[in-house]
Amino acid sequence: MASKRIQKELQDLQRDPPTSCSAGPAGDDLFHWQATIMGPGDSPYSGGVFFVMIHFPPDYPFKPPKVQFQTKVYHPNVNSQGSICLDILKEQWSPALTISKVLLSICSLLTDPNPDDPLVPEIAHIYKTDRQRYEETAREWTRKYAMG
Amino acid sequence: MRSAYAGNESPARAESSVGAISHQQNAETFTDGAESRPLQSVGDHSVGVSFADNTLRTSVNSVSAAVGDSVDEPTAEIVSSTPILGPNQGEEVSRPTDDQIIAQENSIRAAEAEKMPFVGTVEPLSALEEEYRQGSFVFREKIRSLEMQYGSMRRTRGDGNCFFRSFMFAFMEKLVQDNDLTERNRVVTCIRQWKAKLIAVGFQELVFEDAMEIVIDQLNSLGTTEPLNVAQLEANMRDAMLSPMIIMLLRMLTSAEIQRRSDFFAPFIMGMCDDEISVEQFCRRYVEPMGEESDHVHIVALTNALQVPIRVVYLDRSVGAAMAGVGYDSAAVNHHDFVPDALSESASAAAAAVKPRVHVLYRPGHYDILYPLPVTAADSTQIASC
Repeated sequence: MASKRIQKELQDLQRDPPTSCSAGPAGDDLFHWQATIMGPGDSPYSGGVFFVMIHFPPDYPFKPPKVQFQTKVYHPNVNSQGSICLDILKEQWSPALTISKVLLSICSLLTDPNPDDPLVPEIAHIYKTDRQRYEETAREWTRKYAMG
Repeated sequence: MRSAYAGNESPARAESSVGAISHQQNAETFTDGAESRPLQSVGDHSVGVSFADNTLRTSVNSVSAAVGDSVDEPTAEIVSSTPILGPNQGEEVSRPTDDQIIAQENSIRAAEAEKMPFVGTVEPLSALEEEYRQGSFVFREKIRSLEMQYGSMRRTRGDGNCFFRSFMFAFMEKLVQDNDLTERNRVVTCIRQWKAKLIAVGFQELVFEDAMEIVIDQLNSLGTTEPLNVAQLEANMRDAMLSPMIIMLLRMLTSAEIQRRSDFFAPFIMGMCDDEISVEQFCRRYVEPMGEESDHVHIVALTNALQVPIRVVYLDRSVGAAMAGVGYDSAAVNHHDFVPDALSESASAAAAAVKPRVHVLYRPGHYDILYPLPVTAADSTQIASC
């Protein structure tokens, strides 16, 4: 049942791909995908291409997919291990959501960080108190790790 | 309004003590054992979450991190995919990793599953009486009053899906037992009509089409040479894949019904939630996710979505209803009939005559299925309408 649903999502992504991201199986394993997210134009991540790893649990879609950045990102809600603090990947997951919606949510998170619920408090603090420094560092990381 | 899930073990089974009964007064505080607590704390993260993006519900979780590492010093181009909490990492000590949360949920679920399948077997109501043997007088009296109307019950697992599961099992079981093809045809048509309505409120077809076919196939087997029987229904409802599929569909129908009639539901939702929340946000937070408990709003929506009248009988410590002419009856069991608008309108003044198709027993935080006694004692006023 899980693989049928994942297959449908894959077909849907191929038929109607979102503009700013792409996703598909990393290899032969349908439950292990790799996705890319283009840094949103109105954010300091603009121009970067960010790799994201997706693992589907065996009871997908009743449990959320595990989603993690593989590319380093300077962001209040993404930690050094690539973990993403996003409610729809945890208790607010519902079977009505899809990978496509998750990726779009991550794009929105890149544009609009949520510093009040940070995963990395230091970055959140800088984001709140010295926006310019945050943007410069985020741009620098994007150049260093998410380009070329 | 939210009550974190706190298990459905009855006090007598969980602790066998009179004192435990008092926990049942309030679903918010009704916990029955250590194994319930971790899930509750996981659920707590959802409290006070704000929505950063209205269109995609991308609010960021409110988990706290203790101290970060040296974030200004990137060292590796690709981050390793090892779990977040390595033994030598000082960061985020207060936050369980996703893996830990999922592992914990799985262990809770496994423990729960051992105690209770998704749906149990039919038990006489005396089992309930036994459960509250040492319970409060009010409970025991109410159970006695309940026995005037109901002969047996069937428990469901207390995983937050109990209302939907109780509803669907009871509804289908009655169809199967009565071989009620008229009602079957009506509900199949009704479910098919939901396809367009689900899409209209924004559900992608791929998320519900399989579940819809599963439910319709089960219903359509009635009247064929291989009709669904109760044993098969039990097996389906206990199946780790089929059962959640069916519940997921009901949650989506409930959500769509609420969103389609948001003007009607908005005031209820405002009254239930402390924080400002839109109807759509409510559905995404409290209706669509599996395991979110059902409230009055969910039941009103589902009864209308499928046009199935539901009676909820409340077994709680509330003092009984004041009955006209009879005075104050402490043992009266309250019930509430959820009647689909269309039925209550067509029956107009005779709305009271709409017979519930599904009877569920509500104890704070949990729903089980009730089986009415044969109609001889029907509509006695033993149970006071509330």
